[in-house]
Amino acid sequence: MSRKPIIEIRELTKIYTGAEEPAVNSISLEIFPGEIFGLLGPNGAGKTTTISILCGLFPATSGNVTIDGLDSQTDMVKIKQVIGVVPQDIALYPTLSGRENLTFFGNMYGLHGSALRDKIDHYLTEFGLEKHAGKAVGKYSGGMKRRVNLIAGLLHDPKIIFLDEPTVGIDVQSRVVILEYLMEINKKGVTIIYTSHYMEEAEQLCSRVAIIDRGNIIALGNPKELVAEQPRFQNLENVFIHLTGKDMRD
Amino acid sequence: MLFIMPVVLIVISSLMQEFGWSSLTKDPTVQVLFVDNDHDSLSLKIKSGFRESQSFEVIDRLNNNLLTDSTAKNAVKRGEYLVAIVVPKGATSTMRANVRLSVAKTLAGFGIGNPGLVNGIVFKDSVDVKIYFDPTVKKTFKNALISSIRENYYKFQTDWVFKTFNQEIALQMPMYKAPKDAFKEILHFKEEYPSYREVELIPNTSQHNVPAWTIFAMFFIVIPLTQSMIQEREGGSLFRLLTMPVSYMTLLMGKVGVYLVVCMMQTAAMLLAGILLLPLFGLPMLVLGNDILALFVMSMVVSMAAVGYGLMIGTIAKTHQQAAAFGSISVIILAAVGGLWVPIYLMAPFMRTIANLSPLNWAITGYYSIFLRGGNLIVIVPQAIKLLLFFLTTVSITALYYKYKSPLNN
Ligand SMILES: Nc1ncnc2c1ncn2[C@@H]1O[C@H](COP(=O)(O)OP(=O)(O)OP(=O)(O)O)[C@@H](O)[C@H]1O
Ligand SMILES: [Mg+2]
Repeated sequence: MSRKPIIEIRELTKIYTGAEEPAVNSISLEIFPGEIFGLLGPNGAGKTTTISILCGLFPATSGNVTIDGLDSQTDMVKIKQVIGVVPQDIALYPTLSGRENLTFFGNMYGLHGSALRDKIDHYLTEFGLEKHAGKAVGKYSGGMKRRVNLIAGLLHDPKIIFLDEPTVGIDVQSRVVILEYLMEINKKGVTIIYTSHYMEEAEQLCSRVAIIDRGNIIALGNPKELVAEQPRFQNLENVFIHLTGKDMRD
Repeated sequence: MLFIMPVVLIVISSLMQEFGWSSLTKDPTVQVLFVDNDHDSLSLKIKSGFRESQSFEVIDRLNNNLLTDSTAKNAVKRGEYLVAIVVPKGATSTMRANVRLSVAKTLAGFGIGNPGLVNGIVFKDSVDVKIYFDPTVKKTFKNALISSIRENYYKFQTDWVFKTFNQEIALQMPMYKAPKDAFKEILHFKEEYPSYREVELIPNTSQHNVPAWTIFAMFFIVIPLTQSMIQEREGGSLFRLLTMPVSYMTLLMGKVGVYLVVCMMQTAAMLLAGILLLPLFGLPMLVLGNDILALFVMSMVVSMAAVGYGLMIGTIAKTHQQAAAFGSISVIILAAVGGLWVPIYLMAPFMRTIANLSPLNWAITGYYSIFLRGGNLIVIVPQAIKLLLFFLTTVSITALYYKYKSPLNN
């Protein structure tokens, strides 16, 4: 690909204080505008750690990240304006209603007034939450919480969206709604980086995937090509198990 | 809940304190057993002195029997009464005799009367006024009672000395006419409480209590504040906030803003309770100082100190339990040490030094300047500055801790 990458990761390493092994071990990666990029890997592989650094939650131990032409070490506040984040763990105020949560986070992005209200209404309808908008999020079902968690990362129309396991623990209906919506905004040019344990989902959705294990990238490429490279396997899941082994992880 | 609890606190504690206080300062409340074996002017004078002071109720009969030394003593022994006073038989006559003798001796020095005879006479032995105290009474109460008796005694004796002089002189010098009022008491004790106020205000329990409990409640903002911070951290909302294009300092200041408003509203609620609610319980009304601006500024800096303290604990504490336990216990200690409950003038000298280090002490000192001394903005400047510096320090510690030791950042 000759396009200029929208995200460039150079030899990124993260060693948590007190940890013996690096959680992310000198990975380098380029992600291009308009991609749906999948970060795949078993538990503890370093997916959340990588995404957290890209979102500016904490600094890397070493390495460089450039997002949308901006250096993450100097321009993180500007970067944060163009990225949306959907964390792995539900990040909402349980005592506030869905609408209150979204209004609060919208305000934090500098959105106010009727523009914000219209936007929230639009998303609540889109994700079938309009009836529950006034209910405390703590009383939502798991799928409803996931949907609000997703909307909160979309409110400011980000150019790049990071999603950490957006479809974990939800029913097929919710999952389909979420994935279709992601494909829809991707068509409008939004770059999506997402992690998942569902190989089938990633295979269908992603233009490229990186398989990470123990902080290292062990495979990178278009999912269909990765499957084709291993003639013995018919799908990404089998390739994944072949590459990462059958041992269970911490 | 945040508003109701402190208000309940203030009412209950004021009621409790009011009982303790008013027993010494208001209404006939302390009952004094009075055994009169003298039946003369001196005992009557002491008795009426007690009655006038209004702090004591004089009781000279139990079960319709006049008290005797032993019945009174037993009543105190059984803990039924705090104090009994026994004025001995002949107290008045002994005093009169000794006064007459000393007057005669004085006049004899001038060659008046019969010096040879007078100088040969010796004074009668002094008489003992016995006082039985219940062992549980406080020293301050004892002192107050004894000095009350002593005061009445001296008044009476001085009066008597003058009378005797007049009589003796009139006896010796027939043309001497006793002046109508030869004696006027010179010392008269009038209670005053100097303050910056124009109209003087006698300190009542509410003026002491309401500010103290208000400060205590303000610092208890630490609990909801730390709980919300930790919930934000554990619930992941902080995680999301940190992915937003705002700095951590901005987030902190947003929190400070919200909790300052809550703290100020709580303060207003408690002061209003002091003004409107306490009188309904028959307690004295809280009187705000002359300077509402000073009161506002003071409340603001105290709120800031409290919120800053909460931010610091909320950032450093690892769990809800840690924050709640440390937060509440430390506030209680700072309150106790800072003289919120026991005035610092009653503390040992080294404790007073420690008290000066407690931000709650700065707060109460500032509030007392306003509520008890009627102070204005200038008077509270030292306390306000200290509290402001405390706020800045806690916020700096919070920011530094976040930067270098944040749990998200390890
Ligand atoms: N805050 C932290 N402090 C110390 N070690 C951590 C911390 N967060 C993660 N780790 C460790 O770093 C490694 C990578 O964790 P990470 O959460 O990035 O994995 P993951 O790929 O997201 O896993 P999962 O699929 O379970 O979400 C793991 O060994 C984990 O135990
Ligand atoms: Mg993860």
